[in-house]
Amino acid sequence: MKLRKNFLIILILSLCLLLSAGTALAKPVTITFWHAMSGSRLGVVESIIESFNATHPDFEVKPLFTGSYAETLTKYVAAYPTKTGPNMVQVYEVGTQTMIDSDAITPVYQIPGMLGETWDWAQYVIPITHYYSVDGNLWSMPFNSSTAMLYYNKDLFKAAGLDPDKPPTTWKEMEEYGEKILASGVVDHVYSTGWPSWIFEQTMAYHNHLYADNDNGRAGLATEVVFNDEFGHKVFETWIRLHDKGIYIYGGAEYSANSAFKAGQIAMLIQSTSSLAGILKASEFKVGTSFLPRFEGYPVGNSIIGGGSLWVTKGQSEEELRGVWEFLKYIGQKDIAIQWHKGTGYFPVSGAALKALLDEGWFSADQAFLTAFLQILAGRRDTAAATGVRLGPFVAMREHFRAALEKSIGGELSPKDALNEAAEKMNALLKDYLELYGK
Amino acid sequence: MHEDRFPGHKFLPYILIAPSIAVIFIFLIGPFGQSIYESFFVSTPFGTRTIYVGLRNYIRLFSSPDYLNSVVATFKFAAFVIIIGLSISLAIAQLLNQKIRGVGFYQVALIWTYAISPTIAGVIWASMFAPATGLIPYIVSKLSGGYTMNWMTNGQLALFIVAAAATWKMLGYNIIFFLAGLQNVPDEFLEAAQIDGASPWKAFWRITFPMLSPTTSFLLFVNMLYAFFQVFGLIDIMTRGGPGNATELLVYKLYRDGFIHLNTGFASAQSFIIFFVISVVAIIQLRIVTRKAIYFR
Repeated sequence: MKLRKNFLIILILSLCLLLSAGTALAKPVTITFWHAMSGSRLGVVESIIESFNATHPDFEVKPLFTGSYAETLTKYVAAYPTKTGPNMVQVYEVGTQTMIDSDAITPVYQIPGMLGETWDWAQYVIPITHYYSVDGNLWSMPFNSSTAMLYYNKDLFKAAGLDPDKPPTTWKEMEEYGEKILASGVVDHVYSTGWPSWIFEQTMAYHNHLYADNDNGRAGLATEVVFNDEFGHKVFETWIRLHDKGIYIYGGAEYSANSAFKAGQIAMLIQSTSSLAGILKASEFKVGTSFLPRFEGYPVGNSIIGGGSLWVTKGQSEEELRGVWEFLKYIGQKDIAIQWHKGTGYFPVSGAALKALLDEGWFSADQAFLTAFLQILAGRRDTAAATGVRLGPFVAMREHFRAALEKSIGGELSPKDALNEAAEKMNALLKDYLELYGK
Repeated sequence: MHEDRFPGHKFLPYILIAPSIAVIFIFLIGPFGQSIYESFFVSTPFGTRTIYVGLRNYIRLFSSPDYLNSVVATFKFAAFVIIIGLSISLAIAQLLNQKIRGVGFYQVALIWTYAISPTIAGVIWASMFAPATGLIPYIVSKLSGGYTMNWMTNGQLALFIVAAAATWKMLGYNIIFFLAGLQNVPDEFLEAAQIDGASPWKAFWRITFPMLSPTTSFLLFVNMLYAFFQVFGLIDIMTRGGPGNATELLVYKLYRDGFIHLNTGFASAQSFIIFFVISVVAIIQLRIVTRKAIYFR
């Protein structure tokens, strides 16, 4: 552990050196940007930054890949006391409350005013900005936004004697289809999911059901979780039942389940929309996409926004802030937002980009890219339950959920006990958070 | 004493070792002291508010079933890596120490695993056991007629696979040292034993094994440190502590609490406990094992 700490210190020191060398030599104002985009996304980020630097000679954005989301946040936290952090940092959606409470950032909505500008925030896709807003004001700039949807393998549906244009719409149908597909013998297991804790949060929001009190932590800090009621237990028990029938196969915490879907070993996948480009590219079968399945007879909510957003460090010079602001405006521009969407599958963040994509026929060429949009636009967004959860110790809380799911799938605990245990542990975390941040 | 060894240079020795001492203080003792200090507090991730809580972090650790699980899992893991790992390494080293054709090839083939980074090793093992696409679950399923072997939902299996991967990863290192140790055992002793009518089995346990004891005690120590501290990469790649908390070893739990959940006080308390446990075990090991080891020239 010490080694790691030392490494961090060395990393930060060398970064300081780099930064000071950079500012001494170059004329344009340097804007540092820490992000967590790896793989094919990295290339897209870099090309957007290159074009920004080329078109804005007064500024130079310097991106630095700082590891996973969690590592990026850790480094940002470690750099904060020594003021060696970046001007901008990408933080995942679960870190939102931590950032709001951090006292280390300037909320994005205040920046135009500080620079003597006005800005129309309504040009962005509302359900996306909604997630990152406090009392209607945007705190961080949405960057890579996604939601969850259902992917299915049309060829396997056909092979199992199902209509490939009729994906399941309810969990009851998930079970019926699952049994049929299993009986046909085309696959050993029918579906899997990525990000199980997030999919559970999605399911709550999708049925307009609160996850935590104080309006999902949006009206004030949450004091306890409320998902462990009749509905929550029903969702959880359904998952476990489908697992016990062999329909659902547990697929790990993040993207491990994708490989089974791409290889045609499962017929359906519930996963982030950001996997779409990768799945389309790697799959040798017809990929269908549809809305998340519902539980019949429960209220309609909305699927929620996940991914990451950009936060602006407090206490920058006006020049730096202007550079940051130019960059934030730039990534929301029509062409850039389109480039980002096509390159990664993340939502284009502005309404204008959406229209341009529609006009050029992007969505009719492959309507799979439209599914996620229709899903978030079809749902409601006037309730906190449908907007999504905001919790301080969210990262740790999600792990308790994942542990509960793994324990009941493994038969270590009954679904009911496992979910209650997770809720209890989460409440203890919320209590600690309140102790630190409560008035 | 020192004046005798460096006549006329009273302060020179101190100046010469000052850089090393400084490094130790700045990078080891300083942060360690800070960890102990922080273990009595809880604080916000950005350090905007800090509350003194006395021994609460420690009390919580010891009353937390998750932490006790982690302790048990760590000891199981370490026992596997040390006992099974060293036994297999010794057996393989003994085989490699024979005069057979192509021994060089076998030596390289068995040693190179050590050169693989933990990330690659983790990915190899994880894909080998991937529940839906892996080779081994496929074979198991075909042989058993449909049994689904899913280490992502079976905690004990996951712990076993992670321990096996860690053992495999360390195999090369252990074999090199055992091989070097074996080559230092004089042939005359073994020949004499043979002439006296000792079976190879007996000769091994009565002559080779005792003469290997310096190597063995060194490897015991290194493997213990490895099992406690250096398996972080493997765990992070393979299981992230899951399923449930089955493979959340102490050092991994510390990382998650400190660096992912940003709970510094709690993680500091854990680091102090690990330090304490390791020190005790190390002292016992050095005292007993090293004293009993047979050194020869």
